[in-house]
Amino acid sequence: MGTIAVAVEEFAAVAPEVVFDRFGRDGGGWLFGASCDRVALGEPITLRAPIGDGPPVDVLGRISDLRRPDSITITHDQPWRGRIRLRFTVAPGGTRIRLDAHIDAQGLEWLMRRRGHPVRDRAATGPRIGALTSRSGSGSVFASAVANAAVLAVDEIDVAGGIGGRPVELLHADDATDPGTGALEALRLARAGCRTIFLTTTSATYQAVSSALTGHDVLVVHTNMNEGGGESRLRIRLGERPWTQIALAAGPVMRSSGGRRWFLAGNDYVWPRTVNRIAREVLPGNGAVLVGEGYAPLGARDFGPLIERIAASGADIVLDTFVGADAAAFERQCHAMGLRERTVSLGPAMDEATLERIGFEASEGIHGVSGYFQHLQTERNGTLLQRYRERFGRWAPPLSSLSESMFEAIHVWAAAARQVRTTDPTPVADEMRHGRFEVPRGTIALDGRHHVEQPLHLAAARGATFGSMSDSDCTVRTGAARTPPGRRR
Amino acid sequence: MSTDPDASDAFGAGDRDAGLAFDALADPVRRRILAVLSESDECSAGELADRITTVGRTAVSTHLRVLRIAGLVSERRSGRFRYYAIEPGGAAADVIALLRNLFQSSLGEARSAAESAAGHREPARREAAG
Repeated sequence: MGTIAVAVEEFAAVAPEVVFDRFGRDGGGWLFGASCDRVALGEPITLRAPIGDGPPVDVLGRISDLRRPDSITITHDQPWRGRIRLRFTVAPGGTRIRLDAHIDAQGLEWLMRRRGHPVRDRAATGPRIGALTSRSGSGSVFASAVANAAVLAVDEIDVAGGIGGRPVELLHADDATDPGTGALEALRLARAGCRTIFLTTTSATYQAVSSALTGHDVLVVHTNMNEGGGESRLRIRLGERPWTQIALAAGPVMRSSGGRRWFLAGNDYVWPRTVNRIAREVLPGNGAVLVGEGYAPLGARDFGPLIERIAASGADIVLDTFVGADAAAFERQCHAMGLRERTVSLGPAMDEATLERIGFEASEGIHGVSGYFQHLQTERNGTLLQRYRERFGRWAPPLSSLSESMFEAIHVWAAAARQVRTTDPTPVADEMRHGRFEVPRGTIALDGRHHVEQPLHLAAARGATFGSMSDSDCTVRTGAARTPPGRRR
Repeated sequence: MSTDPDASDAFGAGDRDAGLAFDALADPVRRRILAVLSESDECSAGELADRITTVGRTAVSTHLRVLRIAGLVSERRSGRFRYYAIEPGGAAADVIALLRNLFQSSLGEARSAAESAAGHREPARREAAG
């Protein structure tokens, strides 16, 4: 109920086992070139669906049921939440293949917009906020759990009475990892009555949105890691900053790799460029040697020449500022080309959702540095993980610093709105900017001058997820000294 | 509520139907009706009411009227019977057809891949059980 089912059938003149066993092999034609490292229960899987013009859209999910040779079920979260079930039954002379796909209202809306149908948003019934993130394009990998995290935060706020006794309404939008699309979608959210828009996107999209909403009375909150800059009364940028990330991680990563030669590699836009400029300033002071720097545009999938340059440079450590699907493709190719035997990598935007797409074998030697990892042992994180799994099930993508940042930003907004008894952007923003908040990543504090203080942690890949490194020198508080929490949400 | 000067004219009259379409899709019973219709070419009002058991016949008729006004469903009368189908030119028909075509062609590719994998081996001769 609540979803539309699409069913199609086909006949193949071979036994069910043959059909079943071809699935996921060699990317060979089976269901949009379905690719996964193993056809096994729980395995992440990517389907590349040719929806509309432009490059195919990645359907990101995992194998949620597997019965050889009878059926394969894929549960996916991008670009919408849904389920695709394949059934193979013996028929005279071969196999009847039946595919059932379920699409919900959000998925229908996404498809209608992607197909160019004008879709009007419903009349508002309560305070309305927008969540702009990447449901498609390279960012759909790092953002795979972001929409879920936003839904969970709003659910919790509404269960606790909403804001001013009215439930908060959440509108979703997809920037398609493209700044221009992001700006248009942000304008749509603003026209639909969203007074605050939360962005878990690239900094390139943030900049385009911030500029497109100039003159609109809308608060824009960039939730995830970013280079900072452009803040104002209605522009708040939370998230990890590159200077503290690199300063924390440089020493331990060099000790763990046994080397000090760094190569800076990333996507060609403002955040990677800024991270690398900061790395050029910070790293030499830590005894590091810079041996090269290289970029590829967002959406790149072949990094061969760049990886050859890295290999030739004799680098011990790659500072990886690729994002999402690009980071996954880059790291997989590094592994395939044998680079991993000589180098480790540190990714300031590397998260659990991306690591899972890099896979078990290719993940070894990858480090992340963030304010949040799923394995954090805070009480609020325990509650968050439990509620997330209860709400979205065991097959939903992992939480990470990016999705948690959306969750906490919405809660911080709600705490501020309750405090000032309004959802008007300016008083809410002023309240948020001076607050200290208890969230799953710990205590975050804003000092009124666009500076966010939060604990940072270094982690290393353990299989296809992150685990903590020895904690003694790898967790610090950034910014001012710790003071007791002032306000709790 | 919005202070945005564009708000009043953001959606011109030409967009009205698509707006109605999404309003129409917001209801679970209406989505269920569309799901049933998407599985067949045409359905009589009686058949639809038989298959939608969560609400009564009168409610099904009301939902059908909303879907028809939104341009998602078409109605054909024959004697005292009414038949319903997904409106061929509507947004819902477009995205459902898109999905159906996508999946159908992917299964076609799957068949080719499986049959060529079997190569020159004897085609399967198993009979359906029962």
